[in-house]
Amino acid sequence: MSLFWIVIRQVAEIEEQMGTSKKVITPEEWEKRLNDVKIRKEDMNKLVMNFLVTEGYVEAAEKFRMESGTEPDIDLATITDRMAVKKAVQCGNVEDAIEKVNDLNPEILDTNPQLFFHLQQQRLIELIRNGKIEEALEFAQEELAPRGEENQSFLEELERTVSLLAFEDVSNCPVGELLDISQRLKTASEVNAAILTSQSHEKDPKLPSLLKMLVWAQNQLDEKATYPRINDLSNATLEDPAV
Amino acid sequence: MPSATVNKHRPSELLSRLASADPEVKVRALRELKNQIIGNRTKKLSFLKLGAIPSVACILADSIDEVTESNSCNSNNTNNILVQSAAALGSFACGFDAGVQAVLDAGAFPSLLRLLANPNEKVVDAGARALRMIYQSKLAPKYDFLQQKNMEFLISLLSSEKENVGGLGASIITHSCATNLEQKALFDAGILRKLDSLLEGGSLSQRDASLESLATIFRNNPEVISKFAGPEIGRPFSSIIDLAKDRHPRTRLLACMCLIVIRNASPHFLQDIGIKTKIIHILLELLDDPGQVGDEAPFAFSILIAQKEDLQKLALEANAIDKLHHHLEKGSLHPRRFEGILLALADMCSKLESCRSKFLSLQVLNLVADALTDYNSGVRTAACVCLKSVTRSIKNLSAGYFMNEIIVIPLVQLFLDPSSSVQVAALGAVSNIVVDLTTRKSVFIQCGGMNQLVQLAKSMESSVRSNALWALKNFVFQADNRLKESVFSELTASLLSNLICDPEPSVQEQALALVRNLVDGCVNLIEFVFAEGGLILEAIGRQLQCASKAEIGIQGMYALCNVASGNEFHKEAVIQQLFTQMDDKNQSFVIKFLQSNDSQLRIATVWTIVNLTCTSSHGAPGRLEKLHNAGITSQLKNMVNDPCVDVKLRVRTVLGQSMAFGDN
Repeated sequence: MSLFWIVIRQVAEIEEQMGTSKKVITPEEWEKRLNDVKIRKEDMNKLVMNFLVTEGYVEAAEKFRMESGTEPDIDLATITDRMAVKKAVQCGNVEDAIEKVNDLNPEILDTNPQLFFHLQQQRLIELIRNGKIEEALEFAQEELAPRGEENQSFLEELERTVSLLAFEDVSNCPVGELLDISQRLKTASEVNAAILTSQSHEKDPKLPSLLKMLVWAQNQLDEKATYPRINDLSNATLEDPAV
Repeated sequence: MPSATVNKHRPSELLSRLASADPEVKVRALRELKNQIIGNRTKKLSFLKLGAIPSVACILADSIDEVTESNSCNSNNTNNILVQSAAALGSFACGFDAGVQAVLDAGAFPSLLRLLANPNEKVVDAGARALRMIYQSKLAPKYDFLQQKNMEFLISLLSSEKENVGGLGASIITHSCATNLEQKALFDAGILRKLDSLLEGGSLSQRDASLESLATIFRNNPEVISKFAGPEIGRPFSSIIDLAKDRHPRTRLLACMCLIVIRNASPHFLQDIGIKTKIIHILLELLDDPGQVGDEAPFAFSILIAQKEDLQKLALEANAIDKLHHHLEKGSLHPRRFEGILLALADMCSKLESCRSKFLSLQVLNLVADALTDYNSGVRTAACVCLKSVTRSIKNLSAGYFMNEIIVIPLVQLFLDPSSSVQVAALGAVSNIVVDLTTRKSVFIQCGGMNQLVQLAKSMESSVRSNALWALKNFVFQADNRLKESVFSELTASLLSNLICDPEPSVQEQALALVRNLVDGCVNLIEFVFAEGGLILEAIGRQLQCASKAEIGIQGMYALCNVASGNEFHKEAVIQQLFTQMDDKNQSFVIKFLQSNDSQLRIATVWTIVNLTCTSSHGAPGRLEKLHNAGITSQLKNMVNDPCVDVKLRVRTVLGQSMAFGDN
């Protein structure tokens, strides 16, 4: 029985239990109820496909489609394009990423000032990281300053980024986190979401929402009953209620 | 690592590469140009100034004409050129009016249209996208829906499978559909059904575009709305109502705006309290959106509640004022959002005292007062409009709550604002504040407010003149003699008589009302109208003879009425004015006024006659005779059963007074 099955049945069962008053449910009783919950395989497959597609695992999605017969809800070819963009940002090739986004859909950066600013900001960070200080200064003046003029809310971010140039030891300064790999990932994620939205796809996969639902539902039911809980989402084992 | 610097020599160098004969160089240059300008307004402007747009438009036009041979490399290059040049033009036009104008001026529009018929999908897509960007601007050419060919073309666009082509069709409708005739033509051509189907089955951008188009077609057209709703459809507008709860904020906003358009146009639909409350909640929640959606939400909210007490009440119960206040408190707002929130508060407080009390209890007033000095003129205007609404609170006005430095001084400073709409809005707020009967208006006088008002009464803008007079009228309302005298000496009789004869009727009306208030209450004040040889009295008489609307007659007659409440000399002067100004039928305007449909005008005239013929004055019989000879007494006799009670009673007073002297 896959972990996934267990999680989904748990959610369904808890929702049913909500109506009754507080009581103790034994593990045997709980197992029995869980077995009665019917979940369709097709729905499970769709959730898996949705996760693979949204996160951009093209090859896995292809294989899964072949092996399970589940159709993805978007064209897998567009995933490749999107992943190329995401990868470019994650590797610090921001200019390349921008060109790719514009080939995919020129409107995205034209109508998303915040995203465009963050990409420009990332470019500046990469220049600083590579020690190209002169270029960085010029870039900040030519490209980022106008963004700040066009939109006041970017000024603070801009100042933080430019202040990197003031420090000798950039890795230890107050804004050092900008140089961290996590900043690249943040920007990459932002681009990914924007592309998904432009393709009218949901930018978040459904699976995390399901898990959040489980956690919330268990917390709610805790007030009404003691029952076997899933405490570790990664292995989905049902832990017996404390006696 | 890619070089990110923009070399100062590059722009012109780039443009020269555009002119290259080698198609591959051309494509690269076009792509580079496109990548430089996307998202970058500053670059769009600088390339525009360098003449990039005509160059690109030229390349586009030339490439369309190129017959593509079977050689795939050539056709590939041509297609790339078409795609990249269309994308570049589209980006120039995106959210940038100067760009739109330049693209149109360069003659690129017909070329882009031709791209829609191209066999290559990517080319069509690029062309449709570029055209869509153009149609989002007011500068786009107006589309004539009433021509059959055009309507067919539009239908073909909307029927296309391609998202951008369908989106173009919707943009054209949103941009160009203006008249009821056009709305009906679109309905008759079945366009609404197509748009409706996009609401249910389309993509996100198609849904949003359809919502905007539907709102445009429904606007102020109850007939189209009810035809669309139709008797056979179960839940009319259900698809739109569902979209009001969509995941995406922009969709929710557009859906609400569409529902508001329907509500406002048609008294039959969407009137139940459930839907009203829902829309209010959705709009208030959209205020939380940090982007453009949150900026526009308060404007939609205003359109929903403006002039409608029932909705204002519902919104009050939904804590609208608290929420709007909460957003104001956040500070450093985008000017558009700031303006929207202030106007929304203004609409909330426009009619209901309960809303104003809530507003004042939350201490929102200080935030609004701060906005009076904002650098953005829209925000300043909105702050004044908000104050005007809030200062309608009679309770607080009488308590002198608003006559303080925090509000009055910045308002008076706005009298000198470069923008006349700010001036007019400030005058509106001041007009209310000076109706303050308790504190002697000292703050206002001290900061030179009165002198400023007189200056504004001489403005070139008629709306500024009439609003300044309105403020002065309120300022002198039941004020003490000293204050009235200082106003009068500042104004002077000649200015006031000129204003009474101003070319603008609204200015005439306010000037006459000001005189009315000035001479009211004390016999000595009546001397004002006799100053400088009776300039003002003459002006009143002249203006009453050619009064273009009832309101002018009303104010003028009440002014005369107040004069006629004085001594013999005053009464004689008035009766002279009534009869020296005669029209070609030899009829005094008095008869015309007595026969007016407006009861206010009739009553003002009768009151004047009451004052002229009161039994205690020894000149009354003579005046009565004059009135009788002019046919006024018989006119009055016809009015003993006037439908308006006030008129009836005063007519009987006059007739009673005339009988006391022995009726003729």
